[in-house]
Amino acid sequence: MRGGQVSLTTIVFLVIGLIIGALIGYFAIPRGPGTTEDVQAIIQERDQLKAKVQELLEALKPGEITVKVWTIGPDPPSEYRLKNIQIAADILNSMLKTLGANVTVKVEGEFFVRPVEWGEYKNNFYLAYQAGEAPDIYLTGHEDIGFLAENNYIISLDDYINQYWDVVYYDVISTLWDAVRYKGKIWGIPQDTEARPLYFRKDVLRALGWSEAEIEELPKKIMRGEFTLYDLLELAKQAKDQGLVERGILHRVKEGYDYFQFYLAFGGRLWDPNAAKMVFTEDAWRKTLQWFYDAVYQYGVISPNQFSGDWDNDFHLPFTEGRALFLSGGTWHKGEWIQKGLLTEEEFNSNIGYALHPAGEPGKKPVTLSHPLVYTITKLAKDRGVADVAFLLITLATDPHLNSYHSVQSSHLAILYSQISDSRYTQDPFLHDVAYMLDYTTFIPNHPKWGDYSRIVFNILRAVETGDLTPDDAFNELKSQIQSELGEAVIFE
Amino acid sequence: MDIKSRSGIFNKITKGYLLVFLVPSIVFIAVFFLLPVVLTFLIGLTSMDYSFKWDWVGLENYFKIFSDRWAYKILTNTFFYVFSTLTLFNVGLALVISIATTHISESVGSIFRAIWLLPRITPSTVYALLWLWASRGEESSLFNWICSLFGLNPVDWRLNYPWLLVILVNGFVGTSFGMIIFTAALKSIPEDYIRAAKVDGASTLQIIRHVELPLIKWPLLFVTAYQTLSLFTSYEYILLVTNGGPGLYTTEVWALYSYHLAFAQYGGIVKFGYGAALATVLVIIGIIMSIIYLKMFRFGELMTEPKIEVG
Repeated sequence: MRGGQVSLTTIVFLVIGLIIGALIGYFAIPRGPGTTEDVQAIIQERDQLKAKVQELLEALKPGEITVKVWTIGPDPPSEYRLKNIQIAADILNSMLKTLGANVTVKVEGEFFVRPVEWGEYKNNFYLAYQAGEAPDIYLTGHEDIGFLAENNYIISLDDYINQYWDVVYYDVISTLWDAVRYKGKIWGIPQDTEARPLYFRKDVLRALGWSEAEIEELPKKIMRGEFTLYDLLELAKQAKDQGLVERGILHRVKEGYDYFQFYLAFGGRLWDPNAAKMVFTEDAWRKTLQWFYDAVYQYGVISPNQFSGDWDNDFHLPFTEGRALFLSGGTWHKGEWIQKGLLTEEEFNSNIGYALHPAGEPGKKPVTLSHPLVYTITKLAKDRGVADVAFLLITLATDPHLNSYHSVQSSHLAILYSQISDSRYTQDPFLHDVAYMLDYTTFIPNHPKWGDYSRIVFNILRAVETGDLTPDDAFNELKSQIQSELGEAVIFE
Repeated sequence: MDIKSRSGIFNKITKGYLLVFLVPSIVFIAVFFLLPVVLTFLIGLTSMDYSFKWDWVGLENYFKIFSDRWAYKILTNTFFYVFSTLTLFNVGLALVISIATTHISESVGSIFRAIWLLPRITPSTVYALLWLWASRGEESSLFNWICSLFGLNPVDWRLNYPWLLVILVNGFVGTSFGMIIFTAALKSIPEDYIRAAKVDGASTLQIIRHVELPLIKWPLLFVTAYQTLSLFTSYEYILLVTNGGPGLYTTEVWALYSYHLAFAQYGGIVKFGYGAALATVLVIIGIIMSIIYLKMFRFGELMTEPKIEVG
């Protein structure tokens, strides 16, 4: 570790401590004339601190510290994932300049957007790492933490978090720490989270003869479990049969995690925290595969080629143009539609509704799925001696004001309690409306073999939709593949 | 020293020189062909992923291929793709274009052949995008506009006829190679043979059938062999146009399957070991096919010195 970085971190920590101390002092100490001794003591303490800062500054080697950062959308509105780190660097540089330090921090950042998808982004990271060109700060999905930690790609952050706990980390929404914990340690700092709503077209429901009150009631009925996944198929079929829409239900067109919501809605479990193993709920998988088959071949409301579609032509446009009734999406899609000009705020508010994903059958619960993205610090950063500065940047970027830029623009949910009262956040009715969904959410498992589970499920679901496998065959195939490839890592129930 | 032993020493020296001259190509082949094959085979014996650990699993990956539910479908796809593209375009159409353009005036023929080279010189992604636009499902797309002239309804060609698209896209690129070889071979046929046939009263079709085709037998066999092996390992345009879809492995070929497993998974979870085992199978198929071609088409005869030197 280079002396320069240690000193820099210590200085900034001292400065932050000074500011916090000053604020506490200002608010906590009762106003009054004060004694001469008190004033003398404060002046003495300040001078000592200044002397220490001065001493550290003199020890600081002049120069530029470069921190390499990789982030991804892939939706363009999520650009603040990188911008906030750059803003953090600006803040840090201002602090250093004020202190008279002859050192600056430079961020070399990348923000990847489509056509780069998650798979390609992650491939690039692993290959770059082997070539010694990986970033110091790497933004990724929380589910990668198991694999990254297990193979020494990233470092644990517990010590840093303890060090800066009172600065900002006390404010992180507590459940999010579960998403970044692996084998008892914390390996990432939450950057954002989201819910995955089921969007619906209010105008199509109006054309079906629904009253405004009935439309407004739909999310509540779903929340109470009174409207199930099979009711969803019925309704979509009705709209399609009447020629109101070309497509009933749209789901993502590439591999992902969204469709695990249907399994959860049928009562499936993904993770057993006690055993720290993934879970395969047989009954739920049977019902899920049957539901997808019925959706395509009994009700005709999902295209058999939906998984081979194109994001614009088979996902966004049919819905934003009112040619599809339902879309299983994420909160960030609202931000994407607005930024791309596919919908205006007015059109969104008047024609688009959103709800949880309905329960699979009566008696089951509605669901959503969250996939927090996290900043990690690579081992390469530690080897290069910039891990401390990298963490400092993440700490400064984990700020209610800065993170709200991201949440509001990209329609992601807050990661900090104080953010919920941020004026911009509270003024966004959509973010306010979907906040309750987090009470129904599940995280995907932080297991090194989660990617295998996910890939097997994707291929089997695709085969059901295309008619290559019947639901029964699909179930047997799914179970046998999970058994043979994942074995002990999965509990079958 | 007698003449015989002197000649023996001379031969040894000559062979030594030849070996020196061969060293660069031997090194080249060892580094760029043999070494990757050995590495691929070794990785195929591991369960390597992005942890880059050499965890040896023996022949497990090869046994897995036999139990892989989709392997048979993908292998069938591969043979279908290779056979169709080869017969219809890489050899079939290439031959037709070569014969047609050598039977018309030289300048017009050259222009036609130059046009057929365009797909080859267009960057792959641009070329694939053009096809994707042309085959889209909208009424205004090129294919559907042509169909509308005949009163046909618009179709999403990529979703409904993915194989047609895959074969056309690959075929239009692959045609140029055979076309150049065949044209050169046809042009090298002595004019006297054609004239003699004409004097004997042969029609154009008879000249093609009985004079030209037999004389370009070797180039024909070479292009067939070369293009078969080339198609077996190609997946670039399929990746760009259908990515193995629509649906589940509809147009997935062996090489693409290997690529998908080794490099292109959503979660960044890759199967270098299994992908390498699949690639090794492809190498084995390639070697077997090469031996069959060499035997069947008697390449030995092609390479032997002529018995009579025609001065």
